[in-house]
Amino acid sequence: MTSREKVRRALRHEAGPVPVDFGSTGLTSFHVSCVAALREHYGLPRHPVKVCEPFQMLGEVEDDLANALGSDCIAANGRSTMFGFPNEGWHEWRTPWNQLVLVPAGFRTRQSAAGDVYLFPEGDTSVPASGHMPAGGYFFDAIVRQPPFTEEQLDPADNCEEFKLLSAADVEHWEREFARVRGDKRAIVSGVGGMGFGDIALVPAAFLKHPKGIRDVGEWYISLVERRDYIHHIFDYQCEIALRNLATYAALAGDTIDVLVVCGTDFGTQNSQFCSPATFDELFAPYYRRVNDWVHKHTAWKTFKHSCGAVRPLIDRFIDVGFDILNPVQCSAKDMDPVRLKADFGRRIVFWGGGVDTQQTLPFGTPEQVRAQVTERLKAFSPGGGFVFNTIHNVQARTPVANIVAMVDAVRDFNGAAV
Amino acid sequence: MPQLSELTAAVAAGKRTDTVRLTQELLAAGSAPQDIVEKGLVPGMAIVGEQFKKNEIFVPEMLVAARAMKEALKLLEPLLASAGIKPKYTAIIGTVQGDLHDIGKNLISMMWRGANFAVIDLGTNVSADKYLAAAKEHNANLVGLSALLTTTMPAMKDTVRILKAAGLSTKIMVGGAPITQAFADEIGADGYAADAGTAVDIAKKLVGQAA
Repeated sequence: MTSREKVRRALRHEAGPVPVDFGSTGLTSFHVSCVAALREHYGLPRHPVKVCEPFQMLGEVEDDLANALGSDCIAANGRSTMFGFPNEGWHEWRTPWNQLVLVPAGFRTRQSAAGDVYLFPEGDTSVPASGHMPAGGYFFDAIVRQPPFTEEQLDPADNCEEFKLLSAADVEHWEREFARVRGDKRAIVSGVGGMGFGDIALVPAAFLKHPKGIRDVGEWYISLVERRDYIHHIFDYQCEIALRNLATYAALAGDTIDVLVVCGTDFGTQNSQFCSPATFDELFAPYYRRVNDWVHKHTAWKTFKHSCGAVRPLIDRFIDVGFDILNPVQCSAKDMDPVRLKADFGRRIVFWGGGVDTQQTLPFGTPEQVRAQVTERLKAFSPGGGFVFNTIHNVQARTPVANIVAMVDAVRDFNGAAV
Repeated sequence: MPQLSELTAAVAAGKRTDTVRLTQELLAAGSAPQDIVEKGLVPGMAIVGEQFKKNEIFVPEMLVAARAMKEALKLLEPLLASAGIKPKYTAIIGTVQGDLHDIGKNLISMMWRGANFAVIDLGTNVSADKYLAAAKEHNANLVGLSALLTTTMPAMKDTVRILKAAGLSTKIMVGGAPITQAFADEIGADGYAADAGTAVDIAKKLVGQAA
């Protein structure tokens, strides 16, 4: 059975070996320091690791490492980064934690005397910085650049600047990218972007030089209560563009890809949700339904929804609007017990994640504790398929490599024992 | 003259315009600013905290209520200051060094203000020295440390150690997504709260002990 068949079987909720994803999305991967440590551990050739996602400073999981980890998935990557510059023109850069890495040409930094590092939208250092890595930090956060506004001045078009039809360069990129991955024996995971309705990581628009509209995080959340028409205008426009781009993208991708990453909007906090079920129904559900309906009508792809946190009260709604896959299945959040999640939703949605807790066990536990939790999660989630093993969100910097290896070995042993 | 209960209801519902109008009307009718805060706004924010704990409202509704309260306080604080009336307790709050996340920290800050604490918000990426200097300068009853990242939990541990070593009577509270009661106990914090509603209860308990 190929990796792709393993994944497809799991996505159809059929029993079989548990497929694994390490590195196919910006939500299921490793910090660049962990990638280097893993390459070292597995005795792979030493070279500076590419920072394939500069916002979270994720490292590229190359084929040799993917094979060592037993990953069954591969990415068809988009062209641009969170900072609006393309992922091309690589050069060396020494990180504040003294790791030599490769970064794209647009990755131009300024460093303060205190050691804070700043990044710029589209790599343009003549405009205010949009990313900030504090001294001692390991990745960037978006700098909120909220222009002053009055209620009367607010125009939803100002929050729509980022939603554009795919350019000729984008189309050429996707042609090349699909040609690269077509025929691979692994499952192919991809995303066309632009469907993160209200994704709070995207609201400050680190990729825009001069963002307008509502860009402050708190003000955005307030808008979900007080400016619903404004939000509907944005989402409606965003959805129209997304559907047109999907048509272009689908014509290029065909059946090359298996999974479409739709949206990373977080609806969960550690102990609660970011909005009520009624707000989800009114503000978000109509747009998710349009996207999922289009995908299911025109393709055989499965749609992937990421939301951190305690989302149990919303999972029925995710299913109802047409999502096939939920990630990262944050079992450390309230009411997210793996056994209960599997019993209540496991036949109707695929859990892609939930494999090990990246808040406590993986970074701070012992290898034995990691192995025990991974095995427990595999037993809970794997029966009857509907499960792709992955850590709960990206593996964070400073996670001991012995713990990551303990996780990889535990999955391998579980699958070996199951055969 | 409006009733204080109307102001309580307005702030709990996040009605900014009504909250400001009722505050102005109460002042015009001769209500004492301190009464407006303690019997009008504080009970309103207490309702918000309770509803948040029960998942009846969520982060957006809490932000809207806090903004209404803030607008009313803009009218009241100069009057309280000129009358020499200060909140009984002072709290310092910030997100620890290396961490720039502030949604949770801001919610706690607002809820503490809503419980009539004087709150000095040091922002994000705050060094242990800065917490210590602020705690001394303001003679704080409480210091709140927030962290979202697993990579900044060690900075929280160091900050608690440095604050404790300084021998202040200030109580230390910690919180944030990866923080647990067990971690709080391990690093020697005096209190931990899992959400912004509970944070008020714990803060009151801690300063009560300190008083």
